[in-house]
Amino acid sequence: MTLAPTLTTLDTLKVGQSGTVIHLAPTAQGGADVPRRLMELGFVPGERIRMLKRGLPGGPVAVKVGESTFALRKFEAALVSIQPE
Amino acid sequence: MGVMEQQVATGSPLIALLGNPNCGKTALFNRLTGARQKVANYAGVTIERKEGSFTSPAGRALRVLDLPGAYSLSAQTPDEAITRDVVAGLRHGEKAPSAIVCVVNATNLRLNLRLVLEIQRLGLPMVLALNMVDVANKRGIEIDTARLARELGMPVVETVAIQAGGETALLHALDRMNLDSPVQPQPLSSIDAVPVEQTQREVRRILDACVSYAHDTGNLSEKIDNVVLHPVIGPILLAALMFVIFQAVFSWAEAPMDLITGTMEGVGSWIGGAMSEGPLRSLIVDGIIAGVGGVLVFLPQILILFFFILILEDIGYLPRAAFLLDRMMGGVGLSGRAFIPLLSSFACAIPGVMAARTIQNPRDRLVTIMIAPLMTCSARLPVYALIIAAFIPEREVGIFNLQGLVLFVLYALGIVSAMAVAWFMKRRGGGTQHPLLLELPAYHWPHLPTLALGLWERAKIFLTRVGTLILTLMVLLWFLSSFPGAPEGATQPPIYYSVAGMLGRALAFVFEPIGFGWQICIALVPGMAAREVAVGALGTVYALSASGDDVANTLAPLIAGSWSLATALSLLAWYVYAPQCIATLSVVRRETGSARYAWMMAGYMFALAYAASFITYRVALALGGG
Repeated sequence: MTLAPTLTTLDTLKVGQSGTVIHLAPTAQGGADVPRRLMELGFVPGERIRMLKRGLPGGPVAVKVGESTFALRKFEAALVSIQPE
Repeated sequence: MGVMEQQVATGSPLIALLGNPNCGKTALFNRLTGARQKVANYAGVTIERKEGSFTSPAGRALRVLDLPGAYSLSAQTPDEAITRDVVAGLRHGEKAPSAIVCVVNATNLRLNLRLVLEIQRLGLPMVLALNMVDVANKRGIEIDTARLARELGMPVVETVAIQAGGETALLHALDRMNLDSPVQPQPLSSIDAVPVEQTQREVRRILDACVSYAHDTGNLSEKIDNVVLHPVIGPILLAALMFVIFQAVFSWAEAPMDLITGTMEGVGSWIGGAMSEGPLRSLIVDGIIAGVGGVLVFLPQILILFFFILILEDIGYLPRAAFLLDRMMGGVGLSGRAFIPLLSSFACAIPGVMAARTIQNPRDRLVTIMIAPLMTCSARLPVYALIIAAFIPEREVGIFNLQGLVLFVLYALGIVSAMAVAWFMKRRGGGTQHPLLLELPAYHWPHLPTLALGLWERAKIFLTRVGTLILTLMVLLWFLSSFPGAPEGATQPPIYYSVAGMLGRALAFVFEPIGFGWQICIALVPGMAAREVAVGALGTVYALSASGDDVANTLAPLIAGSWSLATALSLLAWYVYAPQCIATLSVVRRETGSARYAWMMAGYMFALAYAASFITYRVALALGGG
């Protein structure tokens, strides 16, 4: 038996690191349903994603999901729980 | 193309093109309709409604609507709301389409197919257009279209929108559909009958069955992004790119501008010589040719600027720039998405203000709209170019041209001021964080015919303005500047005594503290309609107020001889800020739905302009620029 590796959130992944989406935290920020949109764009539980690029500290991150690349702000990325590899 | 030129009755069936952003939908629309397009706005909003018409190979007349790009029918932007309402038949004044052409990017079905499954729940007749299938093939992505058609239960055709004939399969598929008995779409609630997660599982299942990525060579985009999005190299590249653009705007445009100036002068002196002295000759030579020519000369610079914006947009660089700038923009309470409206505003604030609708958050959107006119639009370029040519010596400073450097500073001043205003508005509004959620599409080569079409549209818009609004204002201004004539024994040039002269002298009282004489004040009045008109107006003012017959002389040496350096710098500062464009203010009113913000914009910009000019003028005087 191995210990279950700790879950983390998408914003903490290192450049080039991959992980699997576990779940999305619900939020009602800014009136927009961000988690729903994230799921529509492909951030669904079970999907493997990869941190492509990080901008300046505190800035947005570029994430590869499926065939697409999306830029997310830190707080958006923090909604996505990840099982890192 | 197999498409015949034919008048299409408005009663012919309407099909709608629908798809994700970046799927090549608009290119397909252009391919289908060619020049037979009507661009208008959806009732009550400034979202572009593009409708066109074409005739199918079977001779059927069809109308086609290019819906705004959408990721989902659960709309998060005004653009997406329009798309949702039109396909669901809920948009006032729009009938639901007889059929939907779902356009998908064949290299990115994983993202695109979900929307297709969602739309399908509305129950309208559909056909799937696998666009960019050439790129997918080149990358080694194999799609079993027959299987895909079975899985989806709709016809699937391959299209290459950027290639002549790339739409043929779609045309034949449309001919096989029954479009004459419209179907009422299912209510929107049917969309939510299936949870998002389940739809995504269905997408995965279909992809596993129909698409093979076994030979996928991937695309170069990731490698390019390693450089372009690099935290250090990326911003340097962006700054260098912007700098090159502004240098090019000045140096490349020189030859064609000289050609235009020379031609207009030639025409002016030829007409001047052929006609006898009198008011009509004065109207044609001084009013129309000098005035319109003075604006027309900036066409090359405007086209060069748009050339760069359109190319950067086409290859997919603009969202990358938004990514790079998001940290900085976030600091002043803007979204990185604001970069695209703000960049468009360098060409013209009107498309900029309209492009702000891609920003979901209403506050972010409002702030972006409010600062858009601070970006140096191409209409300011004529004014800047004139004053710089007259007062700044043509000299190399290191590897740079001093004139280009001054222009760069003026642009930078606009940007810095916009950021300061945004920061101020954010502090007053109190801020929560807003989503960015920006797709960085795969890079691709610019498509030259599309680029040429875009440039031609820009040239047409500019020339139409010159031929209508600007021409009218020039004639009006000529009348104001010519009547009443000078009294007996007048000591001043005739314009001094005209209506325009009186108005200018009255305004000069307000503008004297910032160094503007009555000639400049006269030019500022018609400049309210369109900034670049001020240049033509100055031409008219000086051509008319000059005592001798030196109409053929160009304006630059004329103002260089009559203004002080302090006045010139003050006018430059004025133009960085002044709300000198009624068209922009009216679009702001329309876009924000209230006159309040238009007035607020006019007020704050006027105050900034006056303050900046005052400081510039006084400092320049103190430093000996008088």
